[in-house]
Amino acid sequence: MDVFLPWRQPSWRVGRRRMRLPADFRWLLAAFVLLYVLNEANGQKKGSPRDLTCTTNNLQVWDCTWKAPVGTGHGTIYKVCIEDRLRSCHQIEKANIKIPALSPGDHEITINSLHDFESSLSTFILNEKNVSLIPDTPEILNLSADFSTSTLHLEWTDKGSGLPHHSHVVWEIKVMRKDSMELVELVTYNTTLNGRDVVHRWSWASDMPLECAAHHVSIRCYIDSPHFSGPKEWSNWSPVKSISWTPDSQTKVFPQDNVILVGSDITFCCLSQEKVLVAQIGSKNCPLIHLDGENVAIKIHNISVSEDSGTNVIFTTEESIYGTVIFAGYPPDVPQKLNCETHDLEKIVCSWNPGRPTALVGPRSTNYILFESFSGKYVTFKNAEVPTNESYLVSFEMIPNQEIYNFTLNAHNPLGQSESTIVVNITEKVFPHPPTSFRVKDINSKAVTLFWRLSGNFAKINLLCQIKINKANSKQELRNVTIKGLKNSSYRVAVDKLNPYTVYTFRIRCSSETYWKWSKWSSEKQHLTTEAIPSKGPDTWREWSSDGKNLIIYWKPLSINEANGKILSYNVSCSSDEETQSLSEIPDPQHKAEIRLDKNDYIISVVAKNSVGSSPPSKIASMEIPNDGLRVEQVVGMGRRILLSWHPDPNMTCDYVIKWCNSSRSEPCLMDWKKVPFNSTEAIIESDQFRPGIRYRFFLYGCRNQGYQLLRSIVGYIEELAPIVAPNFTVEDTSADSILVKWEDIPVEELRGFLRGYLFYFEKGERDTSKVRGLESGRSDIKVKNITDISQKTLRIADLQGKTSYHLVLRAYTDGGLGPEKSMFVVTKENSVGLIIAILIPVAVAVIIGVVTSILCYRKREWETVLLRHWK
Amino acid sequence: MPLLLVLHWKHGAGSPLPFTPVNATCATRHPCHSNVMSQIRNQLAQLNGSANALFILYYTAQGEPFPNNLDKLCAPNVTDFPPFHANGTEKARLVELYRIIAYLGAALSNITQDQKLLNPNALSLHSKLSVTADVMRGLLSNVHCRLCNKYHVAHVDVAYGPDTSDKDVFQKKKLGCQLLGKYKQVIGIVTQAF
Repeated sequence: MDVFLPWRQPSWRVGRRRMRLPADFRWLLAAFVLLYVLNEANGQKKGSPRDLTCTTNNLQVWDCTWKAPVGTGHGTIYKVCIEDRLRSCHQIEKANIKIPALSPGDHEITINSLHDFESSLSTFILNEKNVSLIPDTPEILNLSADFSTSTLHLEWTDKGSGLPHHSHVVWEIKVMRKDSMELVELVTYNTTLNGRDVVHRWSWASDMPLECAAHHVSIRCYIDSPHFSGPKEWSNWSPVKSISWTPDSQTKVFPQDNVILVGSDITFCCLSQEKVLVAQIGSKNCPLIHLDGENVAIKIHNISVSEDSGTNVIFTTEESIYGTVIFAGYPPDVPQKLNCETHDLEKIVCSWNPGRPTALVGPRSTNYILFESFSGKYVTFKNAEVPTNESYLVSFEMIPNQEIYNFTLNAHNPLGQSESTIVVNITEKVFPHPPTSFRVKDINSKAVTLFWRLSGNFAKINLLCQIKINKANSKQELRNVTIKGLKNSSYRVAVDKLNPYTVYTFRIRCSSETYWKWSKWSSEKQHLTTEAIPSKGPDTWREWSSDGKNLIIYWKPLSINEANGKILSYNVSCSSDEETQSLSEIPDPQHKAEIRLDKNDYIISVVAKNSVGSSPPSKIASMEIPNDGLRVEQVVGMGRRILLSWHPDPNMTCDYVIKWCNSSRSEPCLMDWKKVPFNSTEAIIESDQFRPGIRYRFFLYGCRNQGYQLLRSIVGYIEELAPIVAPNFTVEDTSADSILVKWEDIPVEELRGFLRGYLFYFEKGERDTSKVRGLESGRSDIKVKNITDISQKTLRIADLQGKTSYHLVLRAYTDGGLGPEKSMFVVTKENSVGLIIAILIPVAVAVIIGVVTSILCYRKREWETVLLRHWK
Repeated sequence: MPLLLVLHWKHGAGSPLPFTPVNATCATRHPCHSNVMSQIRNQLAQLNGSANALFILYYTAQGEPFPNNLDKLCAPNVTDFPPFHANGTEKARLVELYRIIAYLGAALSNITQDQKLLNPNALSLHSKLSVTADVMRGLLSNVHCRLCNKYHVAHVDVAYGPDTSDKDVFQKKKLGCQLLGKYKQVIGIVTQAF
């Protein structure tokens, strides 16, 4: 029996491979001969059918073929019998039969060939495991292209109606490019059969614009049936379907005006009839990829963000430049800081920050849709033409009787979309407009009413308003008030606790009572409150005139807070036990009055008047309480201040008063005065009138029962300076060895400080010498005397040389420094003893010489006489 | 473009006649100023003075490689640009000037519109385009006045450049650049001729 088992063929192939090896060749040849002999020995005759192979494409019908016996040809009849449950035989004229799929297990098939009255019989054992499952060649129903997105769309049917259910089918799709059909994509696509013909669709986005080159697609399939135990093979590839763009005459560059994500890879191509020389993106050259004909492409990796006008891509030919523009940007960022609020409870204003810029502007910029889910309403927002980092705003009409709003803000641009959500109770998000029509009206001198208008429908809420009150030289004050909200109405509120006759500046702003945000401040309104009577009498002092007959009454103007209005005049009166005397009204700004009084004790009363009324009177006694034995003290200030201190005196029941004046002024001397409370023990006196080097007198008065008693008298300087003049000095007496000098006091005005002493310099020197040297310290020939006893007014300089010229210099000094010098030249008298000696000695010498000469002459004459006598 | 036709040349747009017959009615809304020719010269000088700056501003705003490829991207190759003959009579030169300014005005309007979408942040460019368009409107009015009053020409047939609304962005950039390059070139010649 001749049995050919197709699955044994691999052994044959293995055998053939071994024969190629020279070392085993002899063994392989021997094995082949042995197999052949065995085959012949099994009775296989030449001319019987052989090589039965079966395949199936649907698992239901097996397609079996065999090789015809050698030497037979046309006219051979085969009788094929299949050992099945029902033995069936078929008589056919071709070496091929289609039989229904057999049940699992071995089946005997006999094929009897009849040719020229000869017959030969072959028997085969057929099993499902020996049958190959090879699907029919699939067919593409449609291949289309979306050139705008460079996408191919493929359609085909699985012909599932003719195949078993639930079989898994693997499709292999290959995409080829250019006329040379370069494979650019090979993908698998899995489906499952469901017993019906199903059309499958598959899309593929090309990395190169489809216009750039022809694209071709072919598919094949593989059925992976779990119940089929035989080998499974791929179908043949389907016929190729192609897509190509029909160019017009113009050179074109693709893609055109695309928007792309930054960092992407992209391919540009130029369909050209002429040779492309260079390709550039921006100013950067790119290597060319040659396509069919003169067409070229460039591939850009990791593209950078574009400028507003996009990134230019150009292809340069000999004649011209062709190009396209790509816009590389980002999808919209998630809207940040989304916030919804209302200014008027009529419209909701939502604001947000767009986040990272998309780098896409104009028609490619981000559009926003604000959607409210409860009402289903929405508003759109077209991104501003100019992208900024500032917030975007959109207005949404409020829905009547709806307080809770659930907003979703959707942002979208050509590269994607994003969204943010927010849920708000709009009555808690009130940010009113600034109050308008703001005005102020008086109630009284300490209260006003503020009026303003607030647009918006606030009838359902309470408003919290804040009033800002400013007045000159005072700290700003803020007051909060809560008022019932109204619809587009005016509001009013009273403001009290103000000062009379004071200029106030008012502003107001409002919020909801639940507070979300203050409105902006209203415009500013200045208002002068009305006048009230002065709150206190003027600060008063009095001095007696120099002749002691008139009392001069001084008072200080009231401060703005005390005057409560414009002071028009003052009333001064004096009263004693017997009478009261009033002066006529003294108009402001006069702050002094003189009244003739006797030395009785009077109480002086001063009252300030404004348009509303008079102040309480200020009273002061005309007479001072005497205090003997006061000594004058000295004081020097610090900076422009003088500090005075004193011991507490329990007898003093009303304010202390310190008055001061310039010491060089005549009486009554008064520059100013200061009152300090009776329990004080010190006071700092400062005045803009104080000047350095000027001596001031300060008087401290204690007060009891409106009568003042002088407690201390002080002279002082704010700051001591050096004297501006030198003391005048004269020479009282001169002897041969001494000089007596006398000097005068320096006037207080020129002393400019408390005198601390004098410096007296002297040296030998003459007036007419060409150079009078200065009195630099350290010179050994200058003698200095420091006179610290300021009461000393004379100085005797002893141990001088007689009849010698001396240079004398005198300077005064204070703690502020040395004053200028005054100098003079004095010649000491001649010494008389010496003179006498000088006269007497020559006289004595002359007398002695005369006497000696006389004696000698006498002796000579005597000797001559004797001699003559002798001769004679 | 049709809008421009209606706005500016509602009476004469599309007329095949280059000039109005001498006896045709020619009326202007206001009488021409006596120094209208002087105004025309001043306006031409103003345009000539700013044309180069506008050109530079434009091609700079288009990004690389425009500034470095002016010879190919911004060459003054403009189809159907109205001719100008500097040696013609004043009337002929005014008529040609009218056609040129009408052509440029329409083109400038398209460029402005394109650039506002493409370069919304290039405010300086927008401003310069707008000022140039304003001066051109005034110039057109003055030329019309002069033609009407002195030469009794009420209508001048005008032509426009190609419609760029359906062009891709690169084409719009390039055509705009070419037009402004042409404008810079022509306005110098025209200014000298007057």
